[in-house]
Amino acid sequence: MHHSSKFKIPMGPQHPALKEPESFSIALKGEKIMGVDIRLGYNHRGIEKACEERTFVQDVYLIERVCGICSHSHSTAFVQGVEEIAGLIVPPRAQYIRTLIGELERVHSHLLWLGVAGHEIGFDTLLMYTWRDREIVMDILALLSGNRVNYGMNMIGGVRRNVTEEQAQDILKGVKTLEERTKYYIEVATQETTIIKRLSGVGVLKKDDALRLGAVGPTARASGVEYDVRRNDPYAAYAELDFNVITDTNSDVYGRTIVRVKELLESYKMIRQCLKNLPNGPIAVKAPRKIPAGEAISRYEAPRGEDVHYIKSNGGEKPERVKVRAPTLANIQAVKHMLKDRYLADMPIVVAAIDPCFSCTDRLVSVKGNAGKSKKILTWEALRNYSVEWHQVHGIDFTELSYKFRTKMERF
Amino acid sequence: MGLALFTILIFPGFLFVSVFGLMAEFFDRRIYARLQNRVGPPWFQAFADFIKLLGKEDIVPCAANEKMFDFAPLFALTSAVTVFLYIPLWKAPVTFSFNGDIVMMLYLLTIPTLAFFIGGWYSRSLYARLGSVRCVTQLFAYEVPLFMSILSSALLANTWELKEVAAFYLKHPLYSLFNLVGFFVSLIAILGKLEKVPFDIPEAETEIVAGTFTEYSGRRLAILRLTIDVEMVVGAALLVAVFFPFALYFQSVLGFLVAVLEICGVIALLALLRTIVARLRIDQMINFCWKVLVPFSLFQLLLNLILKGKLIL
Amino acid sequence: MLNEEKIIQDLCGKFKFLENQIKATRPRRIFLEVPYEHFMEVFDFCVRQLSFTQLCAMSGLDDVEKLSVMYHLAQEGGIVINLKTGVSREQPVLKTVMPYFLCAEIYERELVDLFGFKIEGLPDGNRYPLTDDWPKGEFPLRKDWKPFDQKKA
Repeated sequence: MHHSSKFKIPMGPQHPALKEPESFSIALKGEKIMGVDIRLGYNHRGIEKACEERTFVQDVYLIERVCGICSHSHSTAFVQGVEEIAGLIVPPRAQYIRTLIGELERVHSHLLWLGVAGHEIGFDTLLMYTWRDREIVMDILALLSGNRVNYGMNMIGGVRRNVTEEQAQDILKGVKTLEERTKYYIEVATQETTIIKRLSGVGVLKKDDALRLGAVGPTARASGVEYDVRRNDPYAAYAELDFNVITDTNSDVYGRTIVRVKELLESYKMIRQCLKNLPNGPIAVKAPRKIPAGEAISRYEAPRGEDVHYIKSNGGEKPERVKVRAPTLANIQAVKHMLKDRYLADMPIVVAAIDPCFSCTDRLVSVKGNAGKSKKILTWEALRNYSVEWHQVHGIDFTELSYKFRTKMERF
Repeated sequence: MGLALFTILIFPGFLFVSVFGLMAEFFDRRIYARLQNRVGPPWFQAFADFIKLLGKEDIVPCAANEKMFDFAPLFALTSAVTVFLYIPLWKAPVTFSFNGDIVMMLYLLTIPTLAFFIGGWYSRSLYARLGSVRCVTQLFAYEVPLFMSILSSALLANTWELKEVAAFYLKHPLYSLFNLVGFFVSLIAILGKLEKVPFDIPEAETEIVAGTFTEYSGRRLAILRLTIDVEMVVGAALLVAVFFPFALYFQSVLGFLVAVLEICGVIALLALLRTIVARLRIDQMINFCWKVLVPFSLFQLLLNLILKGKLIL
Repeated sequence: MLNEEKIIQDLCGKFKFLENQIKATRPRRIFLEVPYEHFMEVFDFCVRQLSFTQLCAMSGLDDVEKLSVMYHLAQEGGIVINLKTGVSREQPVLKTVMPYFLCAEIYERELVDLFGFKIEGLPDGNRYPLTDDWPKGEFPLRKDWKPFDQKKA
């Protein structure tokens, strides 16, 4: 390789730096990035079309599965839109519970991001620590909803589960631990030299560029754009909560890290307020099966940025049109800009710094193949047995060995 | 003849070093895991990985130069193992040594890195090529402070024979305290040699997949991984022999145990170092080596020259 | 409601044909439909004069008799104006809004792939979100489109 010649290196669809399949084709000159070509759409699943073919109630659950991390964001955005069309007044307790889950989700997403960012710059210790702590908030979510990621809390007209007094105590306990740990991470992130070296000055997005390229969420806020849907276009219980919109003027990956860790502290504050001011009363109102004709645009500040849902009803059971704009789609333009004239080594962290979620971004069309008829659904155990049998037929038998191994491992 | 063959092949040669290397990998990973609040692997994990890799399908990319692709791992392993034979760690019946062996050892330790470069380059994968270039670029950065600090220790002992160096520090143990700067400089430089965080740039997973080793699989990968383990042991042993050769003070078995403990101590230090930092970029790494490590090793050199002047007087 | 009313007044003052066409469904939400021949003027006015500086999304709509697009524009204060415009099914040609918003590129590609719009002034680039071997003339989000068997196709 001569350092003067340019060559193209593929990153993706499958690459260790990317947690989801997307393709970045990078033109390199030595270690320097000369240009990036982004191809999206590998996760296109046809959710928007599928929504049109299902009823509103079914769609709540389908929409929740747009994304694995910000599932509550999508479903809240959707039900808020539908409630707006139907003219439903959601009880205040339900609004607070939605907010509570939303903030817990933000905590879990930001901690996840911090770990991923650590991994992208080769700092696995940070990954291990934050993901350990993330278990606390995952446990809280499981306690409240019964699930770790797709909470299934929302329904049209309210929420499905209540929050009891004991649960509130458990949450407060967990939040206390998390707050201490988060303060420690802020200390680490602002003092550890190698982290600062790898993050500051990387992926610079100036304020006017952020505005011009339409960046959203923490990506924009780290460039000094004071914009947060929770403040500017309040929904759920946010209008009644006291919180700060965190901004930073570093405009680089370091700034985005600072914004996210500080937002964690704001989230803890909001969770405490939600639990303290949780109003009494019902948690849901009855929603009609048929939603009257109308349209609504619903915005939600997901952990990664502004999530926009457009819903149109024609007066039937099924929506006429559902449009989902996930935050990553707005930020992907900014990535191209941020990668200009950077080094290859910066690429993973710059891409990770917008907290990309390509599954959210892609959604849409599935093509039904005729494989549907012969499809067999296997449970995990059945699948395992199937593979064991398959190997035994082919003369490989690990039964004895795996038994021994298991007893050995149990001793550890 | 028989004894020499035994020394080369079994103890403290190939077999011993390999087993020690795999155990060291476990030790390193375990400490790394415990520092990260994880459980970590069981003691046989490294062996299990090695055996598993031996049984896996071995693929040679059709664009690769098969001979180079084949020989690179073997070259790397043999040269790393050879170094161990020359390191006087305990009172052994057979030791190979000659005047100037310390320089030869340092050069033998460079061969694995060059072999990685050749293997990666001739596998013709883009990732592997990038990794190879990074590998060699890095070599020029950490090699200088490593050589300077190790040789400045030898300078004080006034010999180029490692056995004599060790004997000198055994006689004047207090002098090894003056070498602490050199020890830490070479400890950090060794991290570059072993391609571990913060200097795992040639195999930075999130950037260039597995870097140099991207196209390697099965047996060849097993050998490459063993090479890195052996390098870790050899590097740690070299540091012990140059800076703290106190195991030679004890009788055979006790001496052996002390030496192993000392080596494990160095490995634990390496694990600690890589727990608390993030990976650097290649330009930052080179800057760090030339602007931080080299001045420190120059300081060590100067200090030892002054000490030596006093010694002669 | 003050801000919203002022925006509606400004719009009606500038464009007479919009009188009684503008709906405010709730605080901070304004919906209006503009025929395509006047669309670019209204769009320009909203962005340049009324400072709707953020393009939230672009939703394609199949209204059967025509294909429509809804531009969701937001102001810093949180007001969202939803501009809808329609073009004929046979000639679904729109002008790009990339001169106003660079981020419109990916939304416009989505309209091209899923609804079959033709966007004038959209630079060449990778398609989004469908695969490269997606059959020509199949636009999944049109109402007359049904999922088909890819193997037979």
